[in-house]
Amino acid sequence: MPMYYFHLYDDETIVDIDGTDLINVEAAEKHAAGVARELTAKTTGFLDQNWSGWTMRVHDNNGLELFSLAMSDFRDGNSGK
Amino acid sequence: MGQLRRPTLAHTAAQGHRDNRLLAALPPDTLALLDRDLRQVSLQQGAILLEPGDPLEDIYFPQTGLISLLVIGRDGGAIETATVGREGAVGLHGGLGGRRSFTRATTQIGGRFSTIRAGRFEHIANGSAYVRDLILRYTEVLLAEAQQIGACNAMHAARARLCRWLLQCADRTGRNELPLIQEFLAQMVGVRRTTVTLLAQEMQVRGLIKYRRGRIVLLDRKGLEECACECYDIMCHEKLAPALGVHF
Repeated sequence: MPMYYFHLYDDETIVDIDGTDLINVEAAEKHAAGVARELTAKTTGFLDQNWSGWTMRVHDNNGLELFSLAMSDFRDGNSGK
Repeated sequence: MGQLRRPTLAHTAAQGHRDNRLLAALPPDTLALLDRDLRQVSLQQGAILLEPGDPLEDIYFPQTGLISLLVIGRDGGAIETATVGREGAVGLHGGLGGRRSFTRATTQIGGRFSTIRAGRFEHIANGSAYVRDLILRYTEVLLAEAQQIGACNAMHAARARLCRWLLQCADRTGRNELPLIQEFLAQMVGVRRTTVTLLAQEMQVRGLIKYRRGRIVLLDRKGLEECACECYDIMCHEKLAPALGVHF
């Protein structure tokens, strides 16, 4: 199965060093949405920056960007730990 | 001056048993009852000790390793409901006789463990009110911890849960460098592996940990405690048992 990498970008870059093997791009889209929900749930931001500036960019094994999504679209509105 | 004697293997094992705090807290005469039947074993990371429904045939007292208790979903997914390190034991209620495991028990971190056959432990428990009481006291603490983890998984952010878990792991193994498999970490926190990777990378940028695949080093305990949810403090073994009125 092809590998997909789910990097986060704002002023900083958080690199998905491990990657995940998934069956196709549609599965990668579902995976990305799930990760975004898990990361944003009950938090206001990442690295002390609110989610509004953060983007997830999904790359294939050759480093080609396949799609991106805004992390703020997945916030659940809860705050705190 | 007497002749110097090398420590025997039995002596070394006996010392090892006392690295488990549950065993170390036993009165000497009670521990002496167990000593003859306790064995010291080394278990590798990822060893499955029990599956749900398995009869409790052996009881494990971690000395340096860590065991996770996992509830397994019908889809094969697993999520942790308790962590047992040198403060506790797995399968202790097997000493009440004929019990089965509700969870999968797997070694999250390999190391040394004391172990005893449940039948022998039951025999000793039948003759010792202290040992029977120990089983009940520890089971109370484990139940409280499982309840707290259940609430934690529902209420707290993944980052706070990951910080809590890393601190617990360090406390219960006595190590700041933790050999951890990413897939296991995801099960512990109840999220996808990618989420764990990104959280660990963020925590590394913040100077809280050093992360590379298969290994996490805790660099800033105070910072991790600030990021962890309150469950870390509540489940701290030195506090949880007294809070329940339980003393070892």
